[in-house]
Amino acid sequence: MADTLAIPAPRTQQTRRPRRPGARREALAAYGFVAPNYLLLLVFVLVPLGGAFLVSLQRTDGFGAGEFAGLDNYARLASEPLFWRALGNTLLFTALVTPLSMLLGLVAATLLNTALPARPLWRSLLILPMAVSGVATALIGVLMFDQNSGILNRLLSAVGLSPVTWQSDPVPAFATIVLATVWWRTGFNMLIYLAGLQGIGPDLYEAATLDGANRLQRFRHVTVPLLGPTTFFLVVLNVIFSFQVFDIVFVLTGGGPGGATSVLVTYAYETGFVTRDQGYAAAIGMVLFVFALVFAAAQYRASRTKDVVE
Amino acid sequence: MSLTRRTFLAGSGALALPFLLASCGFVQTAPAERRQGTLTFTTWGTDAELAGFRAAIAAFEAANEGATVELNAVPYEQMFTNIDAQLQAGNPPDIFRVPYYTFGAYAGRGQLLDLTPLLSADRQGQFTPQAWAAVQNGDGTFGLPHHTDTSAILVNLDLFRQAGIDASEIPTSADQAWTWDQLDALGERLRAGLPADRWPWAYNWQGNGVTRWLSLLFQSDGAFLESDQKTPAIDSDAARETVAFSSSFFTKNYVPANNTIASSSYAAESWFSQSVAMVWSGAFQIPDAEQTADFEWTATFAPRNVRAGSDFGGNALVATANTQQPELAAAFLEFVTDADPMRDFCRAASLLPTRADLLNDDLEFDVRPDLAPVFAGQASLVQPQDVAQVASPSMSAIIPVLKEQLDLAFTGAQDAATTVTNLQSGIGAATGG
Repeated sequence: MADTLAIPAPRTQQTRRPRRPGARREALAAYGFVAPNYLLLLVFVLVPLGGAFLVSLQRTDGFGAGEFAGLDNYARLASEPLFWRALGNTLLFTALVTPLSMLLGLVAATLLNTALPARPLWRSLLILPMAVSGVATALIGVLMFDQNSGILNRLLSAVGLSPVTWQSDPVPAFATIVLATVWWRTGFNMLIYLAGLQGIGPDLYEAATLDGANRLQRFRHVTVPLLGPTTFFLVVLNVIFSFQVFDIVFVLTGGGPGGATSVLVTYAYETGFVTRDQGYAAAIGMVLFVFALVFAAAQYRASRTKDVVE
Repeated sequence: MSLTRRTFLAGSGALALPFLLASCGFVQTAPAERRQGTLTFTTWGTDAELAGFRAAIAAFEAANEGATVELNAVPYEQMFTNIDAQLQAGNPPDIFRVPYYTFGAYAGRGQLLDLTPLLSADRQGQFTPQAWAAVQNGDGTFGLPHHTDTSAILVNLDLFRQAGIDASEIPTSADQAWTWDQLDALGERLRAGLPADRWPWAYNWQGNGVTRWLSLLFQSDGAFLESDQKTPAIDSDAARETVAFSSSFFTKNYVPANNTIASSSYAAESWFSQSVAMVWSGAFQIPDAEQTADFEWTATFAPRNVRAGSDFGGNALVATANTQQPELAAAFLEFVTDADPMRDFCRAASLLPTRADLLNDDLEFDVRPDLAPVFAGQASLVQPQDVAQVASPSMSAIIPVLKEQLDLAFTGAQDAATTVTNLQSGIGAATGG
């Protein structure tokens, strides 16, 4: 194989680009600015990640030195029905919440990018959930979805409909965490889409109109492609957020009924901090990390519009 | 006087004796200079509990010149993740507060100070046998039981009247407590007499409160661990009967469908909103109930089956194994569990003392003092062997097993026999027994 490798030509004076005066100093300054970020990344992300991987190879309750267990924790994951259920719930949650919240965010952004009465007020109202913490959102969800005294069931009863078993049946319980998360995340998606929409010049729409494109065609052939980078960014972010969902599930359903809303992070939390089986919990965390990483990489490779600019 | 070899040895021996005795544990009181310094104390608590701790700290500091205690009050939700992280990082507080069902997880893993050589000789005799059993691990005493709490039943008298049940049918002494059959019959009458959106009762087994389901198991004279606190012992007719009985609360529509283990709605909320006529509850709810409930209510004893049984709730105070001031820590723990501080704390916070001399009919709460005998009487029914099981070092691993399997039973996904079989194997895996 070695003889098939292209051997780079030796650099000559002609092929080397002339160095700009001061370029070295600029490069040093750039590294200086970037260095704190890399340092933080190293200390607070990469080192803990390495630590978590080492813990995932141990049998440990966190007190004292752990016992090296090789890949036992990972083998246990594969044979643990609760893990597969939590993984399935996480994937389903991601598959529902990501497109729903992005679609609603896009619709809201498109509406609020037009001349609408009281536009700043509507924008503020939609962005408001962003300012609310996940735990507070979930507590609001409890007020809404409590099946005995919650607001939604009282409304349903008031109009003569049967109350929904939000907390005691698996499907409605799963719906509560999806609905609460979509409400919470739509404002964020709208904000990013709004920024993307405002980066598209009106001349493109004028040209499309002159070419005879109707409103839907302009949206389909101008807006959507030019929002490609925004959509790519939001998909990656929403998927990672969804894989990491914890607070809403923990407070709103506690993973029940019967494990119907248990997701990977609540499962890891229970295992790590309640059962104190921290090696196994770290292994769940590593699986979660690999899923998020693989998805982000696949999405990066697959997205054809991620670099489209006007 | 001339100094002979004999007088020198005798004098040296007399001087050295207190130190020798102290090192052997015969002298119980720490020298004054060892009672100086600063202790860090981490706890969660209601306003009344924190006020009680502050008062006890002030009195301890006044009685021990040079000693200070820094109180760090944290939310309950963060308490044990913080403590675990601090223990793992090697910088835990000197003292912290711990529920009895979590106590074993720390004591059994060498994280707590063995107080045995530091306590006064008569200390054990001051506590009830149940409370003392709750702070033992192996051969050591790894904390002092500060207070207890157990579940009795709060009754909404308005809903009872609405269902046509007279208040005179409510038991007023432990030996009159409803049997399981009587409770079932009462559930039937309440179900028939209340509207569809009102239920006979709610049980307080949500989250880690799943340990309160064990009260029903104990009432059937069942157990979940052998006396070695390791070998699973739940595969029994008593356990199958208990699972079937508690599952019938759901099938007979005696409890709201969301009164499950994993529910985000606590049982007490259903009672406060008058969705249920009765709720299993600790005495700590009394101040809230007195302030919030706009209906007439009272309390009665938990039911009995083969025998009476109840949960041993509440908390111990413990010192961490690596505290730099073990004598001072032990002195503080003894001080706050002395009669006066414990009485004041329990009266204000509506909790039950763990000292035998305080846990009698004279016990009073600042709020609804008439109900104190019900909760004190209920606490006296707790058996030491029941407490010892709950204080198992493996309890933190057993709790998820109970939660998972009982949730499946209550939601109808699993019958009683399968649930008990799974509990037996799950508890065995959790304890390694």
